[in-house]
Amino acid sequence: MSSTDHKDSYKARNAFFWLAPLASVRLTLVLLSLSMILVFVATLEQVRIGIRGALSEYFESLVGIWHYPEQFWGGEFLHHIPLPIPGGYLLGGLLILNLVAAFLTRFQWTFKKVGIQLIHLGIIALLVGQLVTQATQEESRMQINKGESVNYLERFHGVELALIDVTDPERETVVAIPQELLEEGQRLRHDSLPFDLIVKSFGVNCDFNVSPSGSTREGLTEEVDRGVGLTANLAITDKEEDFSSDAMNFGYLVFELTHKDGSLGTWLSLSHPAGNHWWKESEKLADFAFQPIRHEGRLWGASLRPKREYLPYSIELLGIENEFYQGTEIPFNFESDVVLNMDDNQTRRALVYMNTPLRHDGKTFYQYQMNNAADYTVFQVIRNPSWLVPYLACIIISIGLLWQFLWHLVAFLQKNSSKSPKGA
Amino acid sequence: MILFRFSIFAQGLRVALTALILSCTPSCSENHAIEAYPIEPEYEGPVVAWDLPENWAENPDLSGPMAGSFHIKTEEGPKGRIGVMPFRESVSILEVANMFAREIGYGILTERSLAPLLERKTLGDRVFEWVRMEERGGTGTGRSILLALFRQDSETWLFPFIAEKELVETELENFSAFLESTVLRPGKATIQARPPEPAPSPPPSPAELEGVPSWDVPSHWVTGKSSSMRLASHKVYDEEGNEIDFSITSFPGDVGGLLANVNRWLGQIGLPPTDQENLPNFVSRVEVAGLPAQLVEASSEDQALYAAILFKDDRSWFFKMTGSASLAAKEKEGFLHLLDSVSFPKP
Repeated sequence: MSSTDHKDSYKARNAFFWLAPLASVRLTLVLLSLSMILVFVATLEQVRIGIRGALSEYFESLVGIWHYPEQFWGGEFLHHIPLPIPGGYLLGGLLILNLVAAFLTRFQWTFKKVGIQLIHLGIIALLVGQLVTQATQEESRMQINKGESVNYLERFHGVELALIDVTDPERETVVAIPQELLEEGQRLRHDSLPFDLIVKSFGVNCDFNVSPSGSTREGLTEEVDRGVGLTANLAITDKEEDFSSDAMNFGYLVFELTHKDGSLGTWLSLSHPAGNHWWKESEKLADFAFQPIRHEGRLWGASLRPKREYLPYSIELLGIENEFYQGTEIPFNFESDVVLNMDDNQTRRALVYMNTPLRHDGKTFYQYQMNNAADYTVFQVIRNPSWLVPYLACIIISIGLLWQFLWHLVAFLQKNSSKSPKGA
Repeated sequence: MILFRFSIFAQGLRVALTALILSCTPSCSENHAIEAYPIEPEYEGPVVAWDLPENWAENPDLSGPMAGSFHIKTEEGPKGRIGVMPFRESVSILEVANMFAREIGYGILTERSLAPLLERKTLGDRVFEWVRMEERGGTGTGRSILLALFRQDSETWLFPFIAEKELVETELENFSAFLESTVLRPGKATIQARPPEPAPSPPPSPAELEGVPSWDVPSHWVTGKSSSMRLASHKVYDEEGNEIDFSITSFPGDVGGLLANVNRWLGQIGLPPTDQENLPNFVSRVEVAGLPAQLVEASSEDQALYAAILFKDDRSWFFKMTGSASLAAKEKEGFLHLLDSVSFPKP
């Protein structure tokens, strides 16, 4: 290496000397060891709280609290001690800092080392890409009945209170209040709403029972004096959110509407975990899909429902087919024949089946569930804006590896040729 | 060896990474705000909108086939009932009139007997079939039923107005203005034509009616349907949507005795059962139709019960009022007045 090269390297390291403690290899090893512990603990916990629970508690957090399993040796004593485990965001964030610091302070800024730097840059991109995916990826579902079109997605997790003005025959106006704003005691207003909404109670899961006629409701639904909560005499009990894969979380909201002349009444709204259209199966609770509220000559409907996203296109289900392994009930193939109806009167026919999703407008529609008897299909819809990052990162790492290999190869060949005896 | 100055590259990289992390931050914490947006029509039910007269208010217990339900605000409390019922199919005015006719003593109407009650009324650009029936006989308070039927394409919209005769008279103008103001949009979902309430039970036979007492009902109590079980049935509502139910029933024998009946009623308003020793906490003496009877009073946090039990000629007579505690307390005086007014026919 020439003296100028050394000088440049020294300058670069000098400029970032304050990052030196973060660039420690020991820190890298500690973080990687902790990552292994995190993966081990989360895998154990997945059995107890399900994939979503483990993701939320250990990977999508800074610190997770773990209790030593009761069934392990000494569990009866150790189980009660809460053990903090560094979470995915903390370890991932620190790993990124560690790599970036090393990148800036330790590595030599020479052509010889470009390969190494590209490899590290690729790994940083992978980690950052994962962080962005975690933060921005959305998973939804779309259920379509045969012969019908649907133009919205419903999130698997999270609810919203939709207040819909259906008076105008040409278009409906939806005022959607996200779950995050539904805090007890909160008074909510919006220019499109002719009334204020006061949140009495809200929860992501509950047990509900139809109380005997004439009996009084106590607790959360005590104040309910309008709608299905009143007519079906419903009593509810708050429950912890269930993270297991077959969880059925019924979200609930008790809300009061008020306007200048006073209270319009208090309603109970329940969200069905599989979509509010399922309420129609129950005669008494059917109105949970749309509880009519009449105010100032307009008809509004209230519905606590899985968070919706409306699309600028619709998907029509033409037909479905499912095949099973012979003599079993194990599905072999689910297949949905659909037509995508776009805004500009363009259509696109597609066959969606296992491992062959439909991709459109940044979203991927995977075949998820199907009910041949009831003639409907359900797609799992994924939107991941950073889906290209892992591919780009792998390309960068590959170029880095190739560069490093070729550099050494050329150097080796040059060295060999210079050593070979002259005139041999 | 070619030399390259990497320091500029390193600075650039640092800036780029900082920008990437910062740009990620807002998307990590989504902006949670109330959103309003238009969508293509999805709602398939009927849409009914109206201008409500100032002295009218909506009933909270909208259910069954009703698209709207209202009462009239009076100084004595809410009175009368006005409804909006959409029928998916075309129904005849005779079918509709017969849903209500028996309730007020008309028996089964025929084309011929309906003709004098029927007229055509034009309100704005709409033509309504208009049927008015006045209560006949019974112990009622002179109720009047006004039925307005409007046909639009294959849809039929019924607006029943049930109230005391005088109230129907005074509110006729408001009722007409209300009908004229309504926006009626049929729903896509099928609505089966069915009576608003179960068909009334056959009236008690003359033998059963023998020895039935008479009584005075407070004028603002809304008369409900009597049946073979209920000799009288009334509802009272207030502005806040509270409701109480009043009934008069009669059964042979002592129906399990005083303690059993009291405990059954306590259970209905969410109170634990009592025993013989504590029974006097709920029961006091009262006189009904000049005879000694028991007055039962109990209230839970929001429900109350006032009942009188009279044992006469091997029969038990129950006069029972139950419902919202606040409203029941206000109506207690009316209830005691009703007990005072009970009178049995002389043999």
